Amino acid sequence: MHRMTIAVVGLFLVPGAGWAQPTSPLEKYRRLPFPAKDENFAKGWQERVALEYEVINAADLKALRLALKDEDPFVRAIAARALGILGDKDSVDALTDLVKADKEYLVRIRAVESLGYLKMKPEVVQSAIKDRDGGVSWVAKLAADQLKSDTDYAKQLREAYATGIKREVMGTAKVSNPAPDFTALTSDGKPFRLSTVLGKKPIAIYFAAYDG
Amino acid sequence: MHQQAQLRMKKDEVERLGAEVYVVLAMDLHRTREFKEENLLLSRGTGRFSKEKSLVYATALSDPAGYASAVYGVARKCLRWGAWVENQPRWFVIDYRGTITFVLEPKFDTPTAYERDVDLVLEALRSARAEK
Repeated sequence: MHRMTIAVVGLFLVPGAGWAQPTSPLEKYRRLPFPAKDENFAKGWQERVALEYEVINAADLKALRLALKDEDPFVRAIAARALGILGDKDSVDALTDLVKADKEYLVRIRAVESLGYLKMKPEVVQSAIKDRDGGVSWVAKLAADQLKSDTDYAKQLREAYATGIKREVMGTAKVSNPAPDFTALTSDGKPFRLSTVLGKKPIAIYFAAYDG
Repeated sequence: MHQQAQLRMKKDEVERLGAEVYVVLAMDLHRTREFKEENLLLSRGTGRFSKEKSLVYATALSDPAGYASAVYGVARKCLRWGAWVENQPRWFVIDYRGTITFVLEPKFDTPTAYERDVDLVLEALRSARAEK
């Protein structure tokens, strides 16, 4: 019996004999069949959400720093976002380079946002307000305010991501179904849980985009 | 923001119905606060809301990791200015039993689509109230 156990374990340890290096969340993100492009609007969003959680919660700082130079802009963008949320001050220079020179607006947005979360490089954030892209300029204005604030927004984000998310709960809110519970923060920073207000009044919830 | 501006014009009707309205942003607390308290978007135009300081009547909720937005099926769908973290806008109405009775995805297809959308939400709230 003991000999058989050793043989089975050995099978998984010998390269090419059933053992494979586990794929990192960042690598899975790179291989997303439907990255966050316009044409993938309604396709594969659950996988994008789940992997975003995995990338941030895995907190592989070394891989994330390397990914800031990835050829795929979606990988650079998720790495920039994750490093800001994870509070990685060692990535500040690389994030600064992205804010100043990345050709993709979606990368510049995430990089300047992260400088705001890290509360560093106010002069770079200020200069990004003049970015040629309106979205970058908009996020830079918000990041400039966040730099001056005492609130640790990155910590709030880390705590929110740390709860994790299961793929099977995504998209379960449908007519005739019980309203799925969730927690959030009110705009004055107080905790909110939907289940504490259900049953008292009819409720309308609007999931908004900033300009919608 | 347009939907919220429209809703604020009809807040008396919401109060008459004894209803509660929430607006969820898949954004950090700072951005949610700005959305609630500052008219950053429509103040740049010359329309009827350009002089208003704040447009949002609903209770604003920050969903920073997009959890609620994902559960409600609206997360990480559109690029827009936020480059993928923003929600695809959608209304949900929930009755006294905690059941979802109405879902509306705004189309933003006409300049006055917001008025129609908010009227439909109010109608759904009326029905949800009547079913108590």
